[in-house]
Amino acid sequence: MPDPIYLDHAATTPVRPEVLEAMMPFYGPRFGNPSSVHRWGREARTALDEARERLGRCLGATPDEICFTSGGTEADNIAILGAWRARRDEGRTAVVTTPIEHKAVLASVHEAAREGAEERLCAMTNAGVVDLESYQSLVRSDTAIATVMWINNEIGTIQPIAELVQIAKSVGALFHTDAVQAFGKVDVDARTIPFDVLSISGHKIGAPKGIGAVYIRRGTVVAPLFFGGEQDRGRRPGTENVAAAVGLARAAELAVAEREQHWDRLEQLRDRLEQSILAKVPDAVIHGRDARERAPHIVNVSVPGTDSESMLMALDLRGIGCSAGSACQSGSITPSHVLSAIGVSPELASSAIRMSIGSLTTDACIDRVADVFPALVNKARGMGAAVPAHAS
Amino acid sequence: MTQRVLVAMSGGVDSSVAAAMLVEQGYDVVGATMKLFCHGDDLPDRPCCSLDSVNDARRVCQTLGVPHYVLNLESAFGHDVVDNFVNEYANGRTPIPCVQCNTFTKFRDLLVKADAIDATWIATGHYARVVNGELNRGLDHNKDQSYFLWGINRRVLSRMLLPVGSQTKAETRAVAHRLGLEVIAEKQESQDICFVPDGDHTKIIRQRLGADAPSLSQGPFVLSDGTPAGTHEGFARYTIGQRRGLPGGFRVPMFVVDIRPKDRAVVIGPREELLGRGIVARSMNWLVDAPTVGAHVGIQVRHRASPARAEIVRLDGDEIELALDEPVSAITPGQSLVMYDGERVLGGGLIERGRRVGLPVLAA
Repeated sequence: MPDPIYLDHAATTPVRPEVLEAMMPFYGPRFGNPSSVHRWGREARTALDEARERLGRCLGATPDEICFTSGGTEADNIAILGAWRARRDEGRTAVVTTPIEHKAVLASVHEAAREGAEERLCAMTNAGVVDLESYQSLVRSDTAIATVMWINNEIGTIQPIAELVQIAKSVGALFHTDAVQAFGKVDVDARTIPFDVLSISGHKIGAPKGIGAVYIRRGTVVAPLFFGGEQDRGRRPGTENVAAAVGLARAAELAVAEREQHWDRLEQLRDRLEQSILAKVPDAVIHGRDARERAPHIVNVSVPGTDSESMLMALDLRGIGCSAGSACQSGSITPSHVLSAIGVSPELASSAIRMSIGSLTTDACIDRVADVFPALVNKARGMGAAVPAHAS
Repeated sequence: MTQRVLVAMSGGVDSSVAAAMLVEQGYDVVGATMKLFCHGDDLPDRPCCSLDSVNDARRVCQTLGVPHYVLNLESAFGHDVVDNFVNEYANGRTPIPCVQCNTFTKFRDLLVKADAIDATWIATGHYARVVNGELNRGLDHNKDQSYFLWGINRRVLSRMLLPVGSQTKAETRAVAHRLGLEVIAEKQESQDICFVPDGDHTKIIRQRLGADAPSLSQGPFVLSDGTPAGTHEGFARYTIGQRRGLPGGFRVPMFVVDIRPKDRAVVIGPREELLGRGIVARSMNWLVDAPTVGAHVGIQVRHRASPARAEIVRLDGDEIELALDEPVSAITPGQSLVMYDGERVLGGGLIERGRRVGLPVLAA
């Protein structure tokens, strides 16, 4: 079999060599606990402080506004539940979000609702963008926090974050954005867009799994989820993952430095992939393509008459790794809540495949996928063999 | 080029060994576990749809070094198997969901997935054999599962591999140990219907049809001459031949001999009233060229029933009527009638009713 092709960069990315190199000393001689007073502790503390500063610079933030977490899910939980719990006593009891958020956000909002919050879901346009009128009508003076993802992880649509922040600010609501897919793709700068809380994840940008961060604007009170020591001002107790924090800072610096160039490269690859698929499978539907702004790395395509499971298996067995919808704990695929929220029919949604391109993707990869995909479509459409069972 | 086979893996010993044997035989094995239903909140410590089975199947595939996928066939299974199960009980019949699952889920819907991945073959852990394109009983008659396979499309036989069908259960376990599949080698056999984990099939009927469904509501026990004999708590709790849950005070052991959903009646009677001399079945499916009227065949009306002999007296599209050489006990509507010629499965159908010769039709 030819070399396998990884088309699932939105799921995770390999750790970059520069990042691994930056981390290595902290698995070796610089193993100290940053809370210790001795030289070992000081060395670790220095690295952690530097990592916080460097990551802060990447986000237009000061170091005290950066809180390291175990990843995007924890960052989203801290942002949403932390803000809701800190504000519910002020009479701000509503949480506003969209139906296309990552499960980490939706489940956090559900948890807030279980604790008494009023959950409000914005309407979406068929293009996969928040309906601003709906959003505006839901974000009111009783809103604790509004949370809208920057780039959708399934269909790649970019939400109008600057406008959404302004609307939230105008009624005194906090604004959080899950920027897990956006960081490294769009310009994420706390100095130009006044979001209050923002989540990022390391492993989407070449840092390891198990590290992420939540940006918390100075002056914003967020109740902690964990209880323990005084680490990170008590916002996130527990001995810090120094090596991973250093890795995240390094990966973030690289991502910011390469961002524009990276975007152009990904966009070209994406367009090439989409054009070749549409040329060979003219009835293929690419979701989120009508959005005014799209991420350069996500292609979500449905081919009528196929099903996601069969296509994913067939692609995998040909060495091409993609994803579909969201997998439940068993690994079985359930229809995408994102596609149904933007008005895609269940039949079409059940055939959706997400291909996400990134550092490992080359023109040659795209060409081979463009070659293999239509052939697999024909097989999945049952051009050949399906045998009906007898009628009962 | 090696041939690809999609193996339906439940996480149990039989399908795991089937996969392992096919790997040994040089096939390009792809394992798949079908997610067929979700217990939801019914099993608090099992949050997601029989996750343990999926995990076991995945561990086996990891050991074998073959890919494993989980396929969500919940919606089709819900319709073809679970709804059918509930409706059959509501009609006073006793369904066999495994037959429906084999017919519609494993050997039809899963086959579509096999086509999509270029798999020439589809394999399961059934104790049955395909010999010269014909379905045969499993070599180990104690484990034989051919009774459950009559409904599959005949053309699928040429693509089926049933590796454990030519050995005994003990041999299957031995293969599991030999190949290092300790995860599953001594796993207990599940006797339950997969979507009825606690053995209480009325729960799913209640879920689907409501607690006040006629099949779960009070009705009369009657003798076959119409004499009232008490009250029962729902005819869906009964099947033909059942003794448990019947009123006492009779001189001879009493059995359920008929269920009449129209008046919610459960008819009880002595053992001899269970005997039938004829069978009407429908939804016939043939796995060989259909025999003609007058042919003598071996028949089985229940899993593990000893085979009987019968003559085909009527063949009417997908309906069949047989006259039995000797009376057979507890011919149960909804169960399968499977016809054999020695080891070969000729075909089968769903039992519509039994006939007691010279008496009115029992279950009209």
